[in-house]
Amino acid sequence: MYKMICLLAASVLMHSCTKLDQNVYSVVPNQNFWNTPEQIAAGVAPAYASLTNIPDGDYHDLAEIPGDDMIVPARGADWLAAGQWIELWQHKWTATTAQVQAAWSDIYSGIGKINFILSIVNNLNPAPSNLSNINAELKVLRATYYYWAMDLYGNIPLVTSFETDASKLTNTARKDVFTFIEKELKDNIQLVSADVSKSTYGRMTRYGGFCTLAKLYLNAQTYTGAARWQDAADACDSVILSGKYSLQSNYFDNFAVSNDNSVENIFVVPFDRNYISGNNFQMETMHYNNDQNYGVAGGGWNGYCTNAEFYSNFDTSSVYVVKGNNTYRTYNDARAGQFIIGQQYAEAATYPPNTNVLSSSTDASLKIKDAQTGMDLSFYPDFDLISSPDAKFRLAGLRSVKYFPERGVAYNQSNDMVIYRLADVYLMRAEAAVRGGTATSKDLGYVNTIRERAYSGDKTHDWTMGDLTLGNLYKERGRELAWENFRRQDAIRFGTFGQARKPQKDADADDHWQIFPIPANQHTANPKLVQNPGYSPF
Amino acid sequence: MLTEKIKLTLCLLAVLLISTMAFGQNRLTGRVINEKGEGLPSVTITAKGTNVNTLTDSSGNFGFNLPGGVRSIVISSVGFTDQEITIEGRMELSVVLREAAQSLNDVVVIGYGTVRRKDVTGAVANIASKEFSSGVINNPMQQIQGKVAGLVITQPGGDPNQNVVIRLRGQTSLTGGQTPLIVLDGIPLDDPNQLSSIPPADIASYDVLKDVSATAIYGARGANGVIIVNTRKGSAGRTQVEYNGYVGVDKVAGNFGLLNAAEWKKASQDAGVDAATIAALDHGANTDWLKAITRNAVSHSHNVGISGGSGGFNYRASANYLNQEGLVINSGKEQLGLRFIGQQKALDNKLDINVSLAYTQNNRKYVDYNMFDYVNTTPPTYPVYNPNGSYYAYSGYDQQNPVARQMLQTNNGKDYLTQLFARIDYELVKSLKVGVLGSISHFNLQTKFFQPTLPGVGNLNNANQTNGNVDSKKGDIHINYTTEFGKHSIGLTGVYEYNQFVNNSFSAAGQGFLVEDLGGDFLGGGNPAYNVINSYKDQYTLISFLGRATYNYDQRYYLTVSVRRDGSSKFGVNNRWGNFPSASAAWRLKNESFLSDVDWLNELKLNIGYGVVGNQDAIGPYNTLLTLAGGTRYYDPSNSTYPYPQSYSPNQNANPDLRWEQRTGRNIGVEFSMFKNRFGGSINAFNDKTDRLLFTYAVPVPPFFVPTILANVGTLTNKGLEIQLNGNIISTKDFSWSANGQITFVKTKVTGLSGSYRGTPIASDMVPVGYALGRGYQDNPITYLKVGYTPYVFNLAKYAGVGDTIASSSNSNQLYYTKDEKTTPNISDAQKNYYDPTPDFTYGLNNTFSYKEWTLNFFLRGVYGQKLFDNYNNVTSNVSRLPGNNITKEGLTNHIRGSQTPSDFWLRNASYLRLDNLTLAYTFKKLKGLQNLRVYVTGTNLFVLTPYKGMDPEIKTGNSNQSYIDLNVYGSAFYPRSRSAILGVNVSFK
Repeated sequence: MYKMICLLAASVLMHSCTKLDQNVYSVVPNQNFWNTPEQIAAGVAPAYASLTNIPDGDYHDLAEIPGDDMIVPARGADWLAAGQWIELWQHKWTATTAQVQAAWSDIYSGIGKINFILSIVNNLNPAPSNLSNINAELKVLRATYYYWAMDLYGNIPLVTSFETDASKLTNTARKDVFTFIEKELKDNIQLVSADVSKSTYGRMTRYGGFCTLAKLYLNAQTYTGAARWQDAADACDSVILSGKYSLQSNYFDNFAVSNDNSVENIFVVPFDRNYISGNNFQMETMHYNNDQNYGVAGGGWNGYCTNAEFYSNFDTSSVYVVKGNNTYRTYNDARAGQFIIGQQYAEAATYPPNTNVLSSSTDASLKIKDAQTGMDLSFYPDFDLISSPDAKFRLAGLRSVKYFPERGVAYNQSNDMVIYRLADVYLMRAEAAVRGGTATSKDLGYVNTIRERAYSGDKTHDWTMGDLTLGNLYKERGRELAWENFRRQDAIRFGTFGQARKPQKDADADDHWQIFPIPANQHTANPKLVQNPGYSPF
Repeated sequence: MLTEKIKLTLCLLAVLLISTMAFGQNRLTGRVINEKGEGLPSVTITAKGTNVNTLTDSSGNFGFNLPGGVRSIVISSVGFTDQEITIEGRMELSVVLREAAQSLNDVVVIGYGTVRRKDVTGAVANIASKEFSSGVINNPMQQIQGKVAGLVITQPGGDPNQNVVIRLRGQTSLTGGQTPLIVLDGIPLDDPNQLSSIPPADIASYDVLKDVSATAIYGARGANGVIIVNTRKGSAGRTQVEYNGYVGVDKVAGNFGLLNAAEWKKASQDAGVDAATIAALDHGANTDWLKAITRNAVSHSHNVGISGGSGGFNYRASANYLNQEGLVINSGKEQLGLRFIGQQKALDNKLDINVSLAYTQNNRKYVDYNMFDYVNTTPPTYPVYNPNGSYYAYSGYDQQNPVARQMLQTNNGKDYLTQLFARIDYELVKSLKVGVLGSISHFNLQTKFFQPTLPGVGNLNNANQTNGNVDSKKGDIHINYTTEFGKHSIGLTGVYEYNQFVNNSFSAAGQGFLVEDLGGDFLGGGNPAYNVINSYKDQYTLISFLGRATYNYDQRYYLTVSVRRDGSSKFGVNNRWGNFPSASAAWRLKNESFLSDVDWLNELKLNIGYGVVGNQDAIGPYNTLLTLAGGTRYYDPSNSTYPYPQSYSPNQNANPDLRWEQRTGRNIGVEFSMFKNRFGGSINAFNDKTDRLLFTYAVPVPPFFVPTILANVGTLTNKGLEIQLNGNIISTKDFSWSANGQITFVKTKVTGLSGSYRGTPIASDMVPVGYALGRGYQDNPITYLKVGYTPYVFNLAKYAGVGDTIASSSNSNQLYYTKDEKTTPNISDAQKNYYDPTPDFTYGLNNTFSYKEWTLNFFLRGVYGQKLFDNYNNVTSNVSRLPGNNITKEGLTNHIRGSQTPSDFWLRNASYLRLDNLTLAYTFKKLKGLQNLRVYVTGTNLFVLTPYKGMDPEIKTGNSNQSYIDLNVYGSAFYPRSRSAILGVNVSFK
């Protein structure tokens, strides 16, 4: 008996003495989550979190700069940054260029999270009542991430299950990725909510899915060698004919601080000054001293801009009004107002940016100066160099005010950013029809609706069927969709991608620049990845 | 009858004889004191050539009758150099006994026990208060900076609120903490930086456990070495009161070498800037911006200690106050501390109770490090103030009035450290003691920040407060057994230990306050849309069993064996428990018969050790679990009351295999002492290997959901040699000269960064870690982790001078060598070489001269062979910054124009020799009522000899990714180092 008690006491003691208590705080063990519909919604939401890096992150840099509408010249030491911005403009990037590496991570982090979420929600017991909707929505969203990855990098690893063995993973050919995306979209698109309301704002809807499908078909020739013009037009029709969207009467209302109510935007990434960070659009482009007219607190970063060649696409004719010492201009084509040009004046700029732009003043004291050089702050579009330490070069290039800033806000603007909107679908519809040889007055009408909106309803700038050419459509896309992440893709489709450009970009020697290299850090993570053709093999 | 008479006569004769003898003897009295003037008890005074001796009393006084014919006495005491004094007819003597360079009977704390120095079997350094540096001390570790071989302490600049960097035997980890475990009176600190809350004057000694066989007793926490800090204890007897205090002045040592207004104008003109631009930027001032943000800072420190006790009780209580102004305006630190330590013995000394209570509070005013950027960007022609006294307002990229910013912002912290400790031991039977120990540590840090709308900046005013706690509970049950039989001596120790650690914090922030006067004290008063609250908590448990056996035979052959078994809740379920064994042996050659006749040799000991220790710092409490953490909020406008719900996202690739990094060490050493213990030293060589090195490896996403995983894969090695020497070179009655010094050679090499995680190969090489930073730099890695090289090895283009023109491809006139020795302006085409920035050796040399009551001490320390990337001059010494930003004078002569680039031109020799400390002290002896009075003046950082062109060659290295990169931009600023002078006093009375 005594022995028994001793043994018992000893074993109790030993057990409690060696119990490694672990209380988990501040984070929740996965098995303790996923209990309520609200928790499931909060657990599914990270599928969208990676989107905050798409419209204004490294994806943005890759989707625009290698085209012709955005350039980041090296202004002395500013923006030299190991030459990476120059590489993007001149088509000289490598597998280690920062944006090439980062954009991949941004896109694939969305895919990685979706695979995880799918594996969890499909094993919940009891299953969520809306499981089929969750599956379809996430698969269409994942297909969109894959479309971006395939568009940029071509031959990419394709992983659709969280349980995939990482040690066997390698690249899938671009055309096979295309097939996967097409099938995934077609299988799921009808199961995704067709509701267009507050409850699907910022979420993947059926129409967002059709936009991805339209992009996939419109560029099918690039991706697979086989054109799919009619399929592209049909996908556009699925959006247009749904009747759920119409053009916003003011072009800039699609991008304004409060753009939730846009009837034109189909798929957006919500941002918020406090809660959802990542919209630094205005900081990237504004000069340090633009705080004096655009109220960007602390000034911008004086980087991204547009040069004369691209700006020449715009109709910059304006109506001028003199008030006191100042002259204000209102652009005939509202879209020309997305870029600011010339001398900047220390008076609060007004919204929308196409009207009442203070363009000259006889009051010299209003002139904003570049604080560092003492020079007049005046932006000019025409420059021949990609890089210069010249003081004046700090002011090279025109700055965008598309996502018009909220006064007093620096980075992390609250403007929601647009992935897809109806004007783009109209232009895609028209282009697919022209290319497929099926263009009708209906397609012309889509384009003219956009032009009339730009010209404040003035029909004198309407096109005729004769104007509906690929060349004109390319320019119209440039005007309408500048800096909205389509220019590289469009340039490839319209055949201008490899051309020589001012400043200092030579013609591409071959087409391998049309897809980016597999990033070097991805090869480190997975040595089985094979480099794309034309780049130094791993 | 006759016999009676004879007896009486004999008695008388005897009395006579004795009285005659007494008459012929000399009564000698005197006092034995130490170098500080304190009386030394229990010192043996022997009449030379006889067996007649006596001991001093508790005040150091003695008196005895010398036999006739004795001409000299020998004074000896454990721990002191024997001294022989010729009496020369004197009847009263005052003797200063100098402590032996190294005492073999000093008690050395080795963790969970003590041994006498002569019985130590591992590489353990002991440093007592007499060897401490004085001066304006931010952190107690500065007291022993440069004094222990193998221990490298770096004080990054003069910021009173910044922590020192402590490295023992090189870099031990790539991702985890590398600071040694700091053990205060037997209790490990939860965070080594809590050491800055311990008043330096309360510290009696440090024991530094260096080799792995010595630190293995700390198991999974021992890999970075262990520093044991022992505070001063009481002793029974008359109440003793001590006061230690100083007042001092700090001034800035060195400067950036920026241009003044006239130089700026001339340089701008020479650079071709047009007159109108220069005029536009010339606001008529000539401001030295470094001077504008700094001041001569006054510090004063006071420490009062009371000790005493009677019977079985003794205690020591102390109070401490420090007020240290920062060199930078509106910054500083105020410290208030209380400490009590008491011991009660009872039941025939079988029961031994120890209690300690300590409380320290720091009020800190922090520096806004962005300020240092503005000092270097703002032209000297800008004034600090407008003529009406308001701040001159301006704003540009990385440019605003630094004085306004530092003065107008509230940027405070208060921390409170409470440590409670109790231990009860009982001698169960002879030689067998059992005991329990319990301790609680509570650290609370509260910060408050308020930034008003700054002049010219136009920011939204904003405020935040944080409140963080670091708590731990610890308990142990221990058992000790010692016995001796014949020539055998055995000691056994067993311990069960339980530790629980809890961290938690919360913070709140707001913006857009109507009333700026309220500062951060009405956080709810801003725009509610901008309110942010946050909180955090984690917890983990560490349970250990440990045992140690010591054995020696005849004090000649020693063996120590220990094993510790650690279980931690941090470790993966597959590896919860780990074993950490060690063994070390020593051979005291001096005690062998063949050396017993060698009189000049007092000690010669060889030791050798082997052990295994761990480092678990890199592992977070929950790294092994699949957890969801709050991710970004998402927008759900359909929910009108709560449109930004919190998302929950997997925050890591859980690794259930995670475990401690394992360091396996080998040490061989020799210890010696000679010429009556006047010269001694030790030499240790070590060869350590760390495997299962934790590193964050890249993994493919998907299938993984985040792109990195923490895994035990890599390996690195540490090899080194440490030499420590000391001696009393001259030791006469009035004059003495003692010196001690150390030199340390350590090299660390990454030997592997690849392996596999659950079948997936994971590997890294050439991992970029440190970046050149500054305006225009983006993604310019310059240091790497590369297999086969030291961590933070530089890989830099070979500089070839400047060309005549600015090349358009690089925006710069700098040229580089290509592989075939041609020059190119494109750094991407350049030949790149590897450079090891780590020092060849570090060293320290301390000299003390005493003449009668005067003592002069000077301490030199240095580093040889270190290289730093001078990122500061790389950015600032370039005329192309003109006119909008200021430049240095170096920029006027280096002919570099255009964009800065990170080439080897900027990798500069940063060897240095610093006169760290010079102290002149006077000790008053025999002052009535005083036991001791010592007055001293100390100068610190009096000069530094270095070829380095930056502001100071001693920068924070080894603890951040930016190691060996001397930076002064983007908040990574170097806080200027101080040169200080203090006047101090130590006084005690009974």
